[in-house]
Amino acid sequence: MRRSVSFAVLSAVGLLGMSALTAPPRNLAARAAQKAQRAEVKIDNFSFGPATLTVPAGTTVTWTNRDDIPHTVTSSDDPRLFKSKVLDTDEKFSFTFTNAGTYPYFCSIHPKMTAKVIVE
Amino acid sequence: MSEGFLGTAAPLAADAVLLLETAMGVALLFGAWLARTKRFRQHAWCQSGIVLLNLAVIAMAMTPSFRFEVLPRIPAKLSRPYYALATAHAGLGTVAELAALYILVAAGTRVLPEKLRITRYKAWMRSVLLLWWLVVLLGFATYVRWYIPDLFR
Repeated sequence: MRRSVSFAVLSAVGLLGMSALTAPPRNLAARAAQKAQRAEVKIDNFSFGPATLTVPAGTTVTWTNRDDIPHTVTSSDDPRLFKSKVLDTDEKFSFTFTNAGTYPYFCSIHPKMTAKVIVE
Repeated sequence: MSEGFLGTAAPLAADAVLLLETAMGVALLFGAWLARTKRFRQHAWCQSGIVLLNLAVIAMAMTPSFRFEVLPRIPAKLSRPYYALATAHAGLGTVAELAALYILVAAGTRVLPEKLRITRYKAWMRSVLLLWWLVVLLGFATYVRWYIPDLFR
């Protein structure tokens, strides 16, 4: 009797262990795939950070203005691919890059502030 | 949009307006000196030209910038220097320009009826010149707050 109980407990622990070993990688992969679809750019002290961001196609990039004065996020391409409204402190702007390429942009209030997104 | 030439974060248009407004302020002082030396005809041409040039700068450069960057945030964010300076500059600047245009019409033409014309020229003109320079100084302060990141931080 005691032997069969021990066997049952060991089996249960074994099954739990196996599921623990197999399930998390699937979740992690899903999470990683989800995470790869989003990227952040911080605007602070009159600069975009990072100045060059490399992302896979389909990624949504979100810019957040952490500066104490307003800025914009404006595509340098002609015609403009994206252009935010004036972003005040803590305001955000998002754009999804669907095609591979290099996308330079700048702040239209402070044209010296430049950066780019490279989509692979 | 082109970068400015003064080495700050400002665009070309803002640098050009800053220099133009400074030159106009100095030219108005020169025009006042012309009046003191009794060269009234030159005085009239000088001051009229500046007032009309300033009207064009307001219409083409300052008003679009104010509408795009400041107007949507006021009055909610007037407590912040970025918006307060620009709004004070715009408000007093509008008063100064309108007063200067009034002087132009009232003193330089016969368009207005007799009772609306100016009789105390000196007081009016000196007051507007003083207000104009106050607006120029507010314009400097606005430029510094908007485009020179490390100053006053």
